[in-house]
Amino acid sequence: MANGSSPDDALAVSMPAALAEIPVLAERIEAFCDSHDIGPGVAHAINLSLDELLTNIVSYGFDDPAGHTIDVRLEKAADAVTVVLSDDARPFDPFSAPDPDTDAALEDRPIGGLGVFLVRELMDGVEYRRVDGRNVVTLNKRIGTETDATE
Amino acid sequence: MEIVRDRADEIEIVAVEGRVDSTNANEVEETLVPLLDAGGGTVLVDLENLAYISSAGLRTLLVAAKKSKASGTRLALSGLQPGVKEVFEISGFSKLFDIYDGRPAALASLS
Repeated sequence: MANGSSPDDALAVSMPAALAEIPVLAERIEAFCDSHDIGPGVAHAINLSLDELLTNIVSYGFDDPAGHTIDVRLEKAADAVTVVLSDDARPFDPFSAPDPDTDAALEDRPIGGLGVFLVRELMDGVEYRRVDGRNVVTLNKRIGTETDATE
Repeated sequence: MEIVRDRADEIEIVAVEGRVDSTNANEVEETLVPLLDAGGGTVLVDLENLAYISSAGLRTLLVAAKKSKASGTRLALSGLQPGVKEVFEISGFSKLFDIYDGRPAALASLS
């Protein structure tokens, strides 16, 4: 993974479009959160959201992901963390899919379709834009209140 | 990710440890499906040392739950950690599974 130049409160990573790179990115984000007073609940929410979105981009966004990179930028402000993902995969708005029915009985639950729903639920804000031929997803997660932690 | 198999009385125990994501969820499925397809009996999936699960892992567990229902094999989970528990609650999976605090409580109840 290449390092971008970043100020103290930001982490910029240009990641090869490969599934095996997702846990590598997750470790860097955990380290960033640890050293920036961002709690484990928020770190988990960010990492899971990135995992879901990156897995979709790598798995379905390209005819062949080899040689493509995905830019991930994390920025910590006083009250929130903002994450921006930018890729040159085919145009796709991940938030266009309807939410699954989480009250359905076992036999009626479809296999799959939960990933982006988790992102929506775990984040406080999500946005998709198509900019200059790239998919740009922006995630926002509030910090500073323990209610955002998983326990 | 590691899968550790064990057996207590008639209960098949599958401990899934570490991280389950899209790179390895199929290994969990390949372990669970034959146990569930066998029919009858009880399978306990112990998640005490599972730190992380993504939707790929949830998908696998949903496949397992459907198999369990179809074959009449009892399926239970135990030891969900905070991050995993949160994901279960958001996705409605808490309502779909028989979940115990830890392995001892599960074995006591399932035996």
